[in-house]
Amino acid sequence: MSVSVKDRLITVKNNISKKAHIVVKTEICDTQCPHQCTTYVCPAKCFEIIEQKMRFQYEDCIECGTCLHACDQDAVSWSFPDSGHGVSFKLG
Amino acid sequence: MQDSDKFDCIIVGGGVAGLAAAYTLAKANLKILLVERGDWTGAKNVSGGVLWGPTAFDIFPALLNDFSSDCPYERVITHRRLSFMSETSATTFDFKTDNFYKKPYNGIAVLRSRFDKWLGQQVEEAIAESDFAEDSLVATGILVDRLLLEDNKVVGIGAGEDTFSSDCVIIAEGVNSLLTRAVGLQTGYVEAELVGTGIKEVWQFDQEMLEAKFQLEGDKGMSNEFVGCTQGVEGGAFLYTNKDTISLGMVLGLAALREHKKAPHDLLDAFKQHPAIRPILKHGKMVEYSAHVVPVGDIRLVPKKLYMSGAMVVGDAAGLLLNTGKAIEGMNMAMESGRQAAYTVIDAKKRQDYSESFLKSYQERLAETFVLKDMVRFQGAVKFIHNPAMFERYPLFVNTILERAFTVDGKPKKKMTEILPEIIREQNLSYWELLSTAVKGGLNL
Repeated sequence: MSVSVKDRLITVKNNISKKAHIVVKTEICDTQCPHQCTTYVCPAKCFEIIEQKMRFQYEDCIECGTCLHACDQDAVSWSFPDSGHGVSFKLG
Repeated sequence: MQDSDKFDCIIVGGGVAGLAAAYTLAKANLKILLVERGDWTGAKNVSGGVLWGPTAFDIFPALLNDFSSDCPYERVITHRRLSFMSETSATTFDFKTDNFYKKPYNGIAVLRSRFDKWLGQQVEEAIAESDFAEDSLVATGILVDRLLLEDNKVVGIGAGEDTFSSDCVIIAEGVNSLLTRAVGLQTGYVEAELVGTGIKEVWQFDQEMLEAKFQLEGDKGMSNEFVGCTQGVEGGAFLYTNKDTISLGMVLGLAALREHKKAPHDLLDAFKQHPAIRPILKHGKMVEYSAHVVPVGDIRLVPKKLYMSGAMVVGDAAGLLLNTGKAIEGMNMAMESGRQAAYTVIDAKKRQDYSESFLKSYQERLAETFVLKDMVRFQGAVKFIHNPAMFERYPLFVNTILERAFTVDGKPKKKMTEILPEIIREQNLSYWELLSTAVKGGLNL
């Protein structure tokens, strides 16, 4: 019954823009952030530590706003996907 | 841009707040533009969600219709449950009444993508019946990326290369309130302490099986809230019955998640394995996952000023949410704020005065409604609930009492007067703590 986040995301229609709507200054995460909390609070797992470095990908983002509020290090520049892009919920 | 292209009001965002505002304005024969970034009103909208109270029915009377098919809402909530969970057990308060099956209903379960689409159609119909059938519109698939300012007055919106001008803008952009922050009505950075992360899975069942599982009659439905299932993280879980699906999710304090180093999806997975939940999901299929930040009901999230020259803020963008400890109300607050902003625009048009000093009357109106009255009145509840013991130790305490009281183990039985002190001692609680919590709860909830 426990489902991976990837499998969960398959249920959401997403018209991914070529342009990243969220930009993360990962050097802040790597050098000065005491918690790197986005690696666990993001419900779409867009943040991961790979080889001791923060990696962010916007493609799986479901536009929830968690990282906008969770990051208190000014590393996340947050906006919505361009017109006509991003997720559409059929139920919501 | 010529003045003939100018709208009386532009509404940014097609959620329940923006749609309530747009409908009220179209009905009052104003020239409006509602701009929604999703492909339809509702496409990007997420709630738990139960919409409580008469506000929605009052604003959209067509919701009172008897729907034989294509009902915009899912079920009428006549059955309420509140469960206290420990890792292995659950204790539930259960209340069921047909008294809540009278229009306007006390609460309806909604799935926002469907519900807000229907509200959008209502707005379009109201536009078609107005004098501005050709000029007013609901525009979807357009992201408003800025408010246009002239001498500190909002004079319109910008979406990429396009601009639209209006006498007034109602900002109904939701909790991720970038425009509100950009014009300085909200702080540039909103603290994690003032918001939560909601996550949800919708599970589909054969409709008859769902009705049998939850003993649902006709279109009646059940809402169940849970505390104690979040591994000590501030927050709780919910289960709402829809027509042939259930909405199962959690709302978790974002600062608490950060501090406890917990992932919301892991907590939801653990909740789904609880013996009180696991059998419910049998024969079901998870059909949609979603997540969204939510206000948590703290008045500090509400901007001091909900207005400026040429603009007003409504709904989640204004941080409006009521947590009484008995129910969480967000959508009705949003809709009422949208309506009050619309009333203010109608008056402003009569006076041709969209100045800050006149739009201030929006906030004064809101202060006279349940929206700000209840939010202010229940700040004690927000503080009362904001106690780590509420999310782990107290639910465990309740479950331990009942487990021990119900245990039959072939040994001589203890009376409650012996069981209670024993558990209080074992769990490092004190009579004083329990008494003071009970009194505070009584005063604040």
